[in-house]
Amino acid sequence: MTVESRRSQMLRGVLDLCLLAVVMDEPAYGYEMTRRLRERGLSTVGEGSIYPLLGRLERDGLVATHRAASDGGPPRKYYNASPSGRRALAEGVRAWRDVRGEVDAVLGKVDTEVET
Amino acid sequence: MSTFVDECRREWRRLGVPDSMAEEMASELEADLAEASADGVSATEVLGESDPRRFAANWASARGLVPDGPPRPRRRPHWAVFAAGVVVLLVGVILGGLLVVKGAHPTIHTQINQQTAVSAPDVVGMTELRAEATLEARGLQPAVAYVRHRPAGTVVVQVPAARTRVERGSTVLLRVGRAG
Repeated sequence: MTVESRRSQMLRGVLDLCLLAVVMDEPAYGYEMTRRLRERGLSTVGEGSIYPLLGRLERDGLVATHRAASDGGPPRKYYNASPSGRRALAEGVRAWRDVRGEVDAVLGKVDTEVET
Repeated sequence: MSTFVDECRREWRRLGVPDSMAEEMASELEADLAEASADGVSATEVLGESDPRRFAANWASARGLVPDGPPRPRRRPHWAVFAAGVVVLLVGVILGGLLVVKGAHPTIHTQINQQTAVSAPDVVGMTELRAEATLEARGLQPAVAYVRHRPAGTVVVQVPAARTRVERGSTVLLRVGRAG
């Protein structure tokens, strides 16, 4: 298994949470969300499209949407976390932290510098 | 990249996505691509996908906009499951009646092969994805029907109920809440 595909597999379970997290306080349109992820250090290059994830969040009522003018550009579709989206995010982040802690307890002591 | 968006439009039309929805997605995509290009970001990074048909189909189906999508058991309408249940019930009643009339040994109650039977897990309250994974791990087939109910995205009702003995491979109907 290559490094990229393991990264993708691990991200797949949390990318929707990351999208919710960047629109928790301030609405954003699709590309703006990609940009916020990038600015916080998470590259979505090679991780597939965010649009189906956004579509699913919208269908499940976890994000609310509205149309509004952007700075000097055409009107955009803005997404922001709904109250049930906030609850789902909190629940998801708790689950993520639990898993991260449990896995780190096993993998934490592994030396990643291995002589070949 | 306008050809990519045009290909998406064609695919959405082919899939029967309502025009207003297709246009909404197309204009969203065009605006995002234009801005990414001004930022010096490649279209591939925005799209995450090089095949416009697959991209368009995935997006529309995630939004629930594909009326009669490719056959996917999870999206089977709940009435189909319900009708199948009624048929099974009728056949059972008729067979049971025949056995009673003939005075046969009442073996009708052992319809479930205990060798291959599993106990239905309790998935009420789980998110849709987790419930599906839980059922599949137990060898059961989830069928999802959406109902207006909060919290959105979580299982409201399951049929058969938790701890019912069911045949491995049989279908468990999940009613999943959705907003609006």
